[in-house]
Amino acid sequence: MQKEIKHQFTFSQSPEVVWEYLTKPELLAQWLMPNDFKPIVGHKFQLSAKPKLKFDFDGKIYCEVLEIVPYKRLVYSWKGGLSKENPSLNSIVIWTLTPNDNGTILTLEHKGFKGMKNYLAYIIMNKGWVKIGKRLFKQLNLG
Amino acid sequence: MAIPTLDAFQVIADPSRRQILQLLSKDSLTINSLAENFEISRPAVSKHIKVLNDAGFISIQNIGRERYCILKQDGFKELQEWIDYFDGFWFSKLKKLEILLNKKANNK
Repeated sequence: MQKEIKHQFTFSQSPEVVWEYLTKPELLAQWLMPNDFKPIVGHKFQLSAKPKLKFDFDGKIYCEVLEIVPYKRLVYSWKGGLSKENPSLNSIVIWTLTPNDNGTILTLEHKGFKGMKNYLAYIIMNKGWVKIGKRLFKQLNLG
Repeated sequence: MAIPTLDAFQVIADPSRRQILQLLSKDSLTINSLAENFEISRPAVSKHIKVLNDAGFISIQNIGRERYCILKQDGFKELQEWIDYFDGFWFSKLKKLEILLNKKANNK
């Protein structure tokens, strides 16, 4: 399986508690950002991040809930970039909760940046851009 | 024809442009010899080349009487910056969540 951005954290709380922090707007706002999230497949919500003007990124992220398995898995699309009509970032965010002893292992994957996987590896390696390649490969687990 | 400014992800989202990059990763090519690899019209290929050039994925150099397309690192660096940006974004957000949950655990 190919992964892109991935982080894993272990918490002492149960999956039920961690799940609340992923799905309750007021709790989500405490660590992620202000939001109008609802745990309903097909629900569209918007997040605001710091704008990145260099990349024409206004900081607005448009999401849609794609999958919900209570206390186990949450998937939403993550689009943003130039505009709502023409999103350049077309990616998905996957949360996985795994019970662990008395706590929870929370895994975040941010992947599916269109066009990344199949071509970059080849091109970068071919040109010997090892420095860029190594980091990108590590992050994307393309190796 | 006006060509909108595209960012790195939009640039590589197009299959023809990815194919151009792939061809150029083996060897620098003239616009004509690149166009021979495509069913699409020569102006369409030229448009893709312009997009790639504007986004820093290739440069165009005049060698003799020919215009050569050469792969360039800048566009790929921008992709790297995006990945770094979101990687860092999630890490700092998750750290925040960790602090929140630790606090909650200690307050019990």
